[in-house]
Amino acid sequence: MELKPPIVIASGIGGMGEYLKLIEPKFIGAYTLKTITFKPKKGNPPPRLIATENYLINSIGLENPGVENFIEQLKSGQYDELFERVKIIFSFAGDNFEEYEQVAEKMAPFQNKFIAFECNLSCPNVHFNPLSDLTTLKRLLSSLRRKLDIFLIAKLGIEGAFVESIAKLVELCGWDGVTLINTIRALHVDGERIIKGGVSGPILKPIALRAVHEVRSKTKLYIIASGGIASEKDAEDFFKVGANAVSVGTILYKDPSIVERIAKNFS
Amino acid sequence: MENFSLTRDELIQLTSDSFLITFNEDLNFEPTQFIMIETPTSIVRKPFGLGRWYGKLAIGVQVIGPGTKYIIEQRYLKAHGPCGKGFTPPSGKGAVIATPACLAIVFDMHRRFLCDVFIGSLEKLKIEVSFKTVLGDEEFVALLKSLKAYDWFFVVGSDQMEKVSYNLLKDKGQVFVSLNEYMACGVGACRGCAIETKHGLKHLCVDGPALRGEEVWN
Repeated sequence: MELKPPIVIASGIGGMGEYLKLIEPKFIGAYTLKTITFKPKKGNPPPRLIATENYLINSIGLENPGVENFIEQLKSGQYDELFERVKIIFSFAGDNFEEYEQVAEKMAPFQNKFIAFECNLSCPNVHFNPLSDLTTLKRLLSSLRRKLDIFLIAKLGIEGAFVESIAKLVELCGWDGVTLINTIRALHVDGERIIKGGVSGPILKPIALRAVHEVRSKTKLYIIASGGIASEKDAEDFFKVGANAVSVGTILYKDPSIVERIAKNFS
Repeated sequence: MENFSLTRDELIQLTSDSFLITFNEDLNFEPTQFIMIETPTSIVRKPFGLGRWYGKLAIGVQVIGPGTKYIIEQRYLKAHGPCGKGFTPPSGKGAVIATPACLAIVFDMHRRFLCDVFIGSLEKLKIEVSFKTVLGDEEFVALLKSLKAYDWFFVVGSDQMEKVSYNLLKDKGQVFVSLNEYMACGVGACRGCAIETKHGLKHLCVDGPALRGEEVWN
């Protein structure tokens, strides 16, 4: 996979393409859609967000229409304009092993519409954590690889085994890339309210940098760096430690024009 | 939808903590649409309802922390919008009930819809307005009770003020409220501003911010 420019819009943050209202497609290498699960998900109850100057905690809970409804939307032409404007990465997840397989099976006939599939193995707002059991993870990665004939990316977090160990497994199972890292489980106290969710934003940068560095030193996987990228300098740092592309996420909420600035710097 | 910069024209103090800012630039918008404004105190932009003040583009700001304080102090602001679904009232005579910080929104609605406007404030306004203004909670409740039937009401202010208003007005006409929920993108991407309604989940940045009160409360 070659992305020009090497900039990806992160899954979840970019919704289903809405940020193309604010960013020229020519500055985006690929746009990752919000994660689709086997069953429709209503998401978590509000409040779903809390923000400070250097982090955001979200507890959206993978709100999405489910794979069957998504396929109907695809067939209806709802996303045709989006596909014409930018390369799209499909993101998917499940609440258990079988659901990951079922989404892959259902989406396999449509894979040529996408530049890659990103398997979200690390959402902190759902109960199933595929990274917690490497034996099961290996079985899942192998099974999904057999079902899909497309550039396959594993979105990894840092909660589980060391991320480089998991990335080696991803490579061993014939996958093509990794997105490093996802949000991390976190909690915010706001007066009497306690808000739990996944933390993102600039605060993640050193953690994500370390993850990219470790995985680059142990694998040849395509690495999409994700976590705290909020400036041209941040992007440069990630490329220096081995990223092939950078994924822009939370900073879009503060300044959508950052994508254009990074793109101009790295094109 | 655009990413743009706004240049402050006037800063008008309405109460001890509420301000109205007018801008040199103009923007086409529909009633209740809003813009998301960048501040250095948050990784997300903050939503502010669009309005007008004697023809000029305007927003209202209640200073509740460093982010809103920053907004009233700046000459230039970065923003995107207009966001949200515009409010189109039903036919007939309407009344708008608002807090001082929403004065720009209701000033614009008054001109568009020729509706009556009532302001509920905790303190005396520092400027003269041509709308009936009541002070304090007791006077506000008395005002709502005294209002005659209208074809529609639109209430914009705090969640608590909107709920109280809905309960007192729901038998006098259709009540619409401009709801508040934490927002990150303003464009329908993040799904952060979800609220439960009787018709399922709604996202205020694209389905709102104005909803019928009966969709949300009994």
